[in-house]
Amino acid sequence: MLTLVLFNVTNGLILGMFYVLMALGVSLILNLSNVINFAHGNFLALGGYLTFVLEPYLGYWGALLAGPICVGIIGLIIERTAIRRVYDRDPVYSLLLTFGLAFIIQDLCRTIWGPNGLPLSIPNALNSPLSQQFFFITGYRIFLIAVVIVAVAALFGFLTYTRVGTRIRAGTFDIETVSALGINIGLLRSLNFAVGIFLAGLAGVLAGGQIGLNPNMGDDLLLPAFIAIIVGGVGSLTGTLVGGLVIGVASAVTSIWWPAGSEVIMYILMIVVLLVRPRGIMGEEGVMT
Amino acid sequence: MSLLEVRSVTKAFGSLVAVNDVSLSVAPGELRAIIGPNGAGKTTFFNLITGFFPPTSGHILLDGKDITEVAAVDRVGMGMARTFQITEIFPELTVRENIRVAVESQAGLRLRPWINRRQTAEVDDKIDEMLVATRLTEQADRLVGELSHGDQRSAEIAMALALKPRILLLDEPTAGMGEQETFQVAGLIRRLHKHTGYTIVLIEHDMRVVFNLADRIMVLTEGTLLAEGTPDEIAANPAVQAAYLGTAE
Amino acid sequence: MSETTIPAMADRTQQRNWLPLAAIWLVLITVPIWLPYVGGYNALASRVLVFGLAAMGLNLLLGFTGTMSFGHAAYFGLGAYGAGFVLRYWIHSTPLAMLAAILLGTAAGALFGALMAKRTGIYFAMLTIAFAQICYYVAYSWNSVTGGYDGLRGFQRAPLHFGPYIVNIRDNGVLFYYFVLAVFAICTGLMAMLLRSPLGRSFIAIRENPRRTRFLGIPVERHVWISFTISAFFTSVAGGLYALLNNFADPTALFYVISGNIVIMAVMGGMRSFWGPLIGAAVFVTLQDYISSMTVNWMSFIGMIFVAVVLFFPRGLLGFIGRRRRA
Ligand SMILES: Nc1ncnc2c1ncn2[C@@H]1O[C@H](COP(=O)(O)OP(=O)(O)OP(=O)(O)O)[C@@H](O)[C@H]1O
Ligand SMILES: [Mg+2]
Repeated sequence: MLTLVLFNVTNGLILGMFYVLMALGVSLILNLSNVINFAHGNFLALGGYLTFVLEPYLGYWGALLAGPICVGIIGLIIERTAIRRVYDRDPVYSLLLTFGLAFIIQDLCRTIWGPNGLPLSIPNALNSPLSQQFFFITGYRIFLIAVVIVAVAALFGFLTYTRVGTRIRAGTFDIETVSALGINIGLLRSLNFAVGIFLAGLAGVLAGGQIGLNPNMGDDLLLPAFIAIIVGGVGSLTGTLVGGLVIGVASAVTSIWWPAGSEVIMYILMIVVLLVRPRGIMGEEGVMT
Repeated sequence: MSLLEVRSVTKAFGSLVAVNDVSLSVAPGELRAIIGPNGAGKTTFFNLITGFFPPTSGHILLDGKDITEVAAVDRVGMGMARTFQITEIFPELTVRENIRVAVESQAGLRLRPWINRRQTAEVDDKIDEMLVATRLTEQADRLVGELSHGDQRSAEIAMALALKPRILLLDEPTAGMGEQETFQVAGLIRRLHKHTGYTIVLIEHDMRVVFNLADRIMVLTEGTLLAEGTPDEIAANPAVQAAYLGTAE
Repeated sequence: MSETTIPAMADRTQQRNWLPLAAIWLVLITVPIWLPYVGGYNALASRVLVFGLAAMGLNLLLGFTGTMSFGHAAYFGLGAYGAGFVLRYWIHSTPLAMLAAILLGTAAGALFGALMAKRTGIYFAMLTIAFAQICYYVAYSWNSVTGGYDGLRGFQRAPLHFGPYIVNIRDNGVLFYYFVLAVFAICTGLMAMLLRSPLGRSFIAIRENPRRTRFLGIPVERHVWISFTISAFFTSVAGGLYALLNNFADPTALFYVISGNIVIMAVMGGMRSFWGPLIGAAVFVTLQDYISSMTVNWMSFIGMIFVAVVLFFPRGLLGFIGRRRRA
């Protein structure tokens, strides 16, 4: 019984980690640029594939970082050439644009790397289970959780202690004032977009090591990311982090009794939050309603 | 018996107290002006009266009834109409269509997914009435966004009038206007007050307009009430001269 | 000052002369005659009308109330399932199937709309997506009722009975097209009437300036909710027709891709014009049909259509015609 509980909780925790990475990226972009990035899951896949391509040259550890960085740069280019042009327009346009990009990136991945799954090899050291009884707690899973924790800590450190990060946070709160103070909002948004995409890429690498690569691998994470943001409170990055963890844990706990219910519980949580606390757990009055 | 009564309202935005313990009483048929330097809290005071946001403390009464908790949209139904410091209109609709929305709302038609000929004719008549009152008949079928600033203000006032308000709140109706336009709008306000007997509360920077049209004046500085009285009293008030008129002229 | 009842948003050009209106209906009525010569087929024409209706329904909200939904697949798909349930489990009747489509889709629209009330902009859009995905998930998982991944199959639309007369829309594609066209005509008639009414005008007022609208005594949130519900109503009618057209209802009708497609149709045709979404649907559905038969990389092409519309034709095809002078 303990094994089963632990098994489900571990699965939920791992899933929660992906929700968090994905949701933080979507949330960063949403908060500063007011754009819902429909293509986020496809950037995730692209990050995984780029790592796959780079791995033979850089080894796993090099590619682990280089893949997400590359996809971050691609994101930056796309932001500069296309997404930037819809910032001041009706939000319907940014949704349509990223929706179209999602199609294109997914098709590109499918064309280049094929529709079937590709394995992303990981170092043997990470692959072995820690014990016979808890076979599901592999070194890789612990590694994965550690990487996510480091990435999230680095993100919050970046936002709190660096100048660019402080500006991003200020811009989330009041973009007009930040721009009135002479700060280049365009550049800030580009950087911020790249950081968001980097996180997607990182999630892609980690997911690739877990379940392999396929062109749709990010699709199932997009909606949980939205729900994490809604549950946590739109406009608050800490809220998104909390939201991601909450739905991850809730999914895990639910799956102990009702394995098929891990998805249902997210929807139920979302509706309950909407009814009881419409602005989300950390949402504040007046922020991005 | 006052039509509008404000009992020591306060509004704080965080640590900034924009309106601090201000009271006001407006009699039916009165034209009351509110003056004060920039950032004195005049618009905030209007926003409290019309329910744009709730006060931090204090009460607002219309006709003796406490409306502090009443939503903005329902205060309109109780007879409160306002214009905004920065013109709020439907720029891509014609003057007539702008007024039509107001007339239909006032006539209680706003939820109706159809309309018959008789009602259409009645609505049209009321629109024409408003057009005449605000002298916009000639511009009736032009897009409001294309009109001169003065005519846009008039159109906004026409919309407010179409609501058949018992009290009309105008936030700097002559702001940003030239001489000619100021006279046009001031004339409209004077006619509404003198000929039609509207109760009006007016925020205004143009002292000629204020001292010639108002029955009573209240002066706000930094969120607090500095003085209150007839134009003569205000003109003679040393505190007002020192704090406000002296610097503004 | 000849015409005082011109509603704001309807194309003035179209109001002034009846030619474009007559042309649209003439084209729609004569479709079965000329379609074969240009390589089309009846089901394609019916599909254009179905999506045209869905996009016009969405556009009541998007173009005329200024509120974005990126989750209208929910009402489209629930409409399809509503019709499917009746035909599959209950009774062989097309009118009752349509009724069920409307009830299911509109009720969901009213409910979700109420839960989302008070949200605006991008947050509202995100919630619409999430609610649509809930519907998709339910249809996908509730195997015993919805048929799960495969969807509801094994039913056929029923012929229509008018007293002793039977119109066999089941076996005759042309007759079915005219049935769809009749429903389409009724719906667009209702929409046109709505947009000329005080309620419709309040929607446009909200689009133009919600703050002003509120201070004219119109409760904005309630009216947005009403608009949302009406919009879901028309989209669910389209969904019901979609099930009749295909003779099945499956989860793809609820998938977010459908939501995106409906929005792009409205925008591509011109979301500020009454007929724009129909034009958009005609172009998009035809292109989609053509592209998917031409290349395996159809997704890229569809994606590029989205990108191109956003970057180069944001006003849509009719946007230029219906465009109004600005100050
Ligand atoms: N919604 C708000 N949130 C925060 N601060 C506000 C808000 N509205 C007004 N303020 C602040 O309250 C103070 C009073 O503003 P208000 O607009 O009421 O002044 P005013 O007397 O109308 O000035 P003006 O003559 O320039 O129109 C100002 O310092 C303003 O910055
Ligand atoms: Mg002011």
